[in-house]
Amino acid sequence: MTSPQHLVSSVLTIAEMEARKLRHDSTELWMRAVQPALWLLIFGEVFNGIRGLAPGGFSYIQFIAPGVLAQSVLFVSIFYGITIVWERDVGLLTKLLSTPSPRIAVVVGKALAAGVRGVFQGVMIFALALIIGVNLRFDPFDVAGVFIVVVLFAMCFASLSMTLASFLKTRDRMMGIGQAITIPLFFGSNAIYPVSLMPAWLQVISAYNPLSYVVDAMRAMLLTGDYSSLPLDIFALVLSTAIFIGAASMVLKRLIE
Amino acid sequence: MRAIEARSLTKVYPGGTKAVDDVSFDVEEGEIFGLLGPNGAGKTTTIKMITTLARPSSGSATVFGVDASRSPEQVRQMLGFVPQTISVDGDLTGYENLLIFAKLFFVERGQRKARISEALEYFGLTERANDLVKHYSGGMMRRLEIAQALVNRPRLLFLDEPSIGLDPYSRMQVIKQIKELNQNFGTTIFVTTHDMNEADELCDRLAIMNLGKIAVSGSPTELKKSMGGDVLTVTVSGGLPDSIPKELGSTISSEEGVVKILTEDGERAIPRITDYLEGKGTLVESVSLSRPTLDDVFMKYAKAGITQETSFREARSARRSIVRHGR
Repeated sequence: MTSPQHLVSSVLTIAEMEARKLRHDSTELWMRAVQPALWLLIFGEVFNGIRGLAPGGFSYIQFIAPGVLAQSVLFVSIFYGITIVWERDVGLLTKLLSTPSPRIAVVVGKALAAGVRGVFQGVMIFALALIIGVNLRFDPFDVAGVFIVVVLFAMCFASLSMTLASFLKTRDRMMGIGQAITIPLFFGSNAIYPVSLMPAWLQVISAYNPLSYVVDAMRAMLLTGDYSSLPLDIFALVLSTAIFIGAASMVLKRLIE
Repeated sequence: MRAIEARSLTKVYPGGTKAVDDVSFDVEEGEIFGLLGPNGAGKTTTIKMITTLARPSSGSATVFGVDASRSPEQVRQMLGFVPQTISVDGDLTGYENLLIFAKLFFVERGQRKARISEALEYFGLTERANDLVKHYSGGMMRRLEIAQALVNRPRLLFLDEPSIGLDPYSRMQVIKQIKELNQNFGTTIFVTTHDMNEADELCDRLAIMNLGKIAVSGSPTELKKSMGGDVLTVTVSGGLPDSIPKELGSTISSEEGVVKILTEDGERAIPRITDYLEGKGTLVESVSLSRPTLDDVFMKYAKAGITQETSFREARSARRSIVRHGR
């Protein structure tokens, strides 16, 4: 059995590996910030003129800012499976799995790296929100809370993506499944419109959509300050993250067999 | 203590393909052991089972007495593995690659820096240590991979086709460094290769694997001796007969007008074989006589069915198949 110190050290080393790569070339991070910026600057600004679209007296751009953040983290993390397939193709995954570090450390370390990328997205979106004057609650505790949710959410979907990669095994298939998952999750959530505007059947789907819980938690901290549903949101997120990390750790070896 | 004890290792993939079929062998501590065979022979799968990357369908493998299936992490702590594909991370520097893998092998913090500097120096990579590895040449990448073994100091190092895709100079350097690692640090080395000269030069003992089974094993000298007799290399023009009579010898290979025949007494066999071939309308241009090489041993055992009765055509297609897969 691996000691807890070895486990923690391996997780941090895998995350460090990813962080060092980002330090050498951060182009990808900046490119990934373009899409959420467009959502805020174009989509948000256009719909901002429609009154009553956002509940609670908030402007539409205020309403979608947390949704856009959640969406961009989702997009960053769901394609982690492609990275792991690529690492398999170049032999790097075999090398990682032949070290004495436990499998779970590889999964958690990669998932944590997705979290780091997610936090960068958060920083970019917050900076943009400040520049264009979107009024969010920039209380330090709330911002810290949002970053915790971002990291957990990124870890959850990066692990789900690695689990899927272990079964699908090719980059092309992962591209396909990535699209097939992200778009329905995004439009079937409360990210860009309130649940009350959805038809009844979509409201049911939204209630089971993990993205809705994430957006809900972020909105509570960045907009409403109403924390009543926060424990449920965080519980759902922690539970799904744990399940997907466990699943990915168990099946990751399939990729190299 | 034995470095590896493999007992009846078998791997059946879903769909029923038996990649490794009841394979048993030992690797002694401190030796360089070679596993040879054409692609698809089961070499990589055998390595994967010993390195705990694949679970055997049946049978067992122990590494320095530790069962690979029961204590995989303990086994991996003793191993270094250099896979067939270049597996260093191109987006990190040479130094970072060594650092990350030293951490993943739990090399003590106090020893890391000194060992990394030593390994970089030893493999002539110090000047390029802070360059991204994607800008290295293939030979430098391979050397960096082997340098990792010097940092992590595994007791047993697996090298899967270490010289594949390298130019002759880089290949020579890699072979030299593998030998030094074995001699200076006592690292037991398990190597797979298609290159018979490399195997002859490098290995203390080797096994030739084919169709999931070990066909023969021994030291390179023993194996060459076991072939018995001489090898006649006959260059011909015109069509070849289907086969030669058993009493004249057995065909090892036949490729583009050059036929290799294993025969008991080469000098006596030269006129008889020449007469036979010319009697069949084949023009013999030259005949040369040599002792069997490891290449000949490989050709004899690596393809099932190359027996005394083998026809020239079968030998030719066997050779082509091995050459094609070997690339």
